[in-house]
Amino acid sequence: MFLAWREIRQSKLRFALVTAVLLLVSYLVFFLSGLASGLAGLNREAVDKWQADGIYLTDESDKSLTQSMMEVDLADDVVADETAVLAQTNLIADNGDAKSGVALFGIRPDEFIMPEPTEGDEFSDEFEVIASDSLKEEGFSVGDELDLSGSEVTLTITGFTDDARFNAAPVLYMNLEDFEKVRPGAAAMAQQEGSAENPDGQPAETDQGLPGETVEQPEMVNAIVVKGSQPDEVPDDLEYLESETFIENLPGYTEQNLTLTFMIYFLFAISAAVVAIFLYVLTVQKISMFGVMKAQGISSAYLSRSVIAQTFILAVIGVLIGFGLTVLTGQFLPAAVPVSFDYGMMAIYGAVLIAVAILGALVSVWTIVKIDPLEAISG
Amino acid sequence: MTEHVLQMEDVTKTFGSGRTEVRALKKTSLDVSRGEVIAIIGPSGSGKSTLLTIAGGLQGPTEGEVRIAGERITELGEKDRSKVRLEHVGFILQSSNLVPFLTVSDQLKLLDKVKKGNMTKEERKGLMEELGITKLTEKYPNDLSGGERQRVAIAKALYSNPSLLLADEPTASLDSDRAFEVMKLLKSAAVKKDAATIVVTHDTRLTDYVDKVYKMVDGVLHLETEKGGAASLDEGRTDFLEKGGNEDGI
Ligand SMILES: Nc1ncnc2c1ncn2[C@@H]1O[C@H](COP(=O)(O)OP(=O)(O)O)[C@@H](O)[C@H]1O
Ligand SMILES: [Mg+2]
Repeated sequence: MFLAWREIRQSKLRFALVTAVLLLVSYLVFFLSGLASGLAGLNREAVDKWQADGIYLTDESDKSLTQSMMEVDLADDVVADETAVLAQTNLIADNGDAKSGVALFGIRPDEFIMPEPTEGDEFSDEFEVIASDSLKEEGFSVGDELDLSGSEVTLTITGFTDDARFNAAPVLYMNLEDFEKVRPGAAAMAQQEGSAENPDGQPAETDQGLPGETVEQPEMVNAIVVKGSQPDEVPDDLEYLESETFIENLPGYTEQNLTLTFMIYFLFAISAAVVAIFLYVLTVQKISMFGVMKAQGISSAYLSRSVIAQTFILAVIGVLIGFGLTVLTGQFLPAAVPVSFDYGMMAIYGAVLIAVAILGALVSVWTIVKIDPLEAISG
Repeated sequence: MTEHVLQMEDVTKTFGSGRTEVRALKKTSLDVSRGEVIAIIGPSGSGKSTLLTIAGGLQGPTEGEVRIAGERITELGEKDRSKVRLEHVGFILQSSNLVPFLTVSDQLKLLDKVKKGNMTKEERKGLMEELGITKLTEKYPNDLSGGERQRVAIAKALYSNPSLLLADEPTASLDSDRAFEVMKLLKSAAVKKDAATIVVTHDTRLTDYVDKVYKMVDGVLHLETEKGGAASLDEGRTDFLEKGGNEDGI
């Protein structure tokens, strides 16, 4: 460390340049990782909030929630500590001032995926919803009446809850009992059957049903969410997915994640290369000095450790400043930028960057080991 | 019994083979004892540096045996030879062998980091005073004159208490006044530290201060003078110095 520090102190500019490169790369890596976890959060935070172990979909749905349709009674056949049925559809909600694409979830209020309102109240009456608090930033508030695309029904926001976005859309949680009447198919189906002026709240029919006879209709849901499941006892026609698998199969999720992860890995490779080149150039400039030291009997190991120590010092400084800059930038970003910092992940990436820089320094170590002190002496 | 710090026995060195073969060193034997200072003079390309680097364990001989402080370095690998160098050998080179980013005192401190048993504070102070570099301790090599740099290089070489001090044209980059002064200091410091010392040089005045002068011609080493100064040099040698000394330049 003695040699390492002395040289850094004495050649501040050179080492500042190496540090700057590492700083910029780590800034970019941290930012991309923030973006990756922010975007991932947009897709998955509602599912994460449930703290469920897994989810049952129909096996013909090919792991797609929207394509999965099952009778609600199937929940009774599922063996698990806790079950929660989930009906889901995507709609546009309009409060008169603002419009937003939302994911409407029909749930039973006594089951475990029922959200706690962070503001306002739980839904109690027909067509009331607890909305994702991300809608507040879009201009929605408690008491708003929401017109829905493809449905005649109007929903009322009674409360907001946090961490409630699913596949990039804010979630509206409502009672499963009313959900059938809101499903976009419902109105269309009613029109087909000749009841074009289907008034709000009128029960709608399902595939085989007749208008006004919902009571005898089996309620349909898209999925059964479970805690403590026994996946070896999967009911016929259903497929069990662990929560993580379910999330990975959300449309676009894996592709987006892979893209960002790939960029981050690519940056690791770039920083290894840049550090390797930089340090190699610095080392080559010092070959005769190293040779003289080796002639004096200073071991390659000591000199190599010095280069590694230098790299470590510079990498740590670069990564720490990069981290600070990232956090600082995060404070000033508009809310629309989906960045969320996962500090555990950032710590791992920071450590990888430092490791990768040290890997780059190995080129210099190799150079030092190969130096023949005789050449330095006679050169 | 005089202690031979360096013992070279029937050492030869051949570079290349066939038509490109260079016999840089023909069968040479040389012993140097503690406190003894010898000079090797000779024309450029005659094999002086080859001899010195073999003596210092920087390269192995083609034939023969080399012992430093009794240790047969010809049988050691580079890692162990490196240890012997650290332990026993001090090098002073033609141009500065100082680390550019270390102050004078840090140059010595570096040796403390890699090796135990260097000089004590008092010994170090004495050496610095003797070499006249006490005031330079916080300076970097770039801020020193050529003569100052070589004096620091001598301090550095002697700091680890080497039993063998090897100097390859230590004054070649200095003007003659500086060279004279540096050589004088080198000799007295080496004697004081009781190191066996070999100085390769082409500067006649430097030989005034040594115990023996050897001449190297075409890889063959001759004893030229013993325990004498310039006055005892014969005509032949002076001639040689005028002809050969100049071409053995910087
Ligand atoms: N590594 C080497 N490879 C090939 N030839 C060498 C090598 N080192 C020295 N020589 C040759 O050995 C001879 C002696 O060189 P050297 O010992 O450097 O002479 P001096 O120091 O007296 O000028 C020269 O002819 C030189 O070209
Ligand atoms: Mg030479």
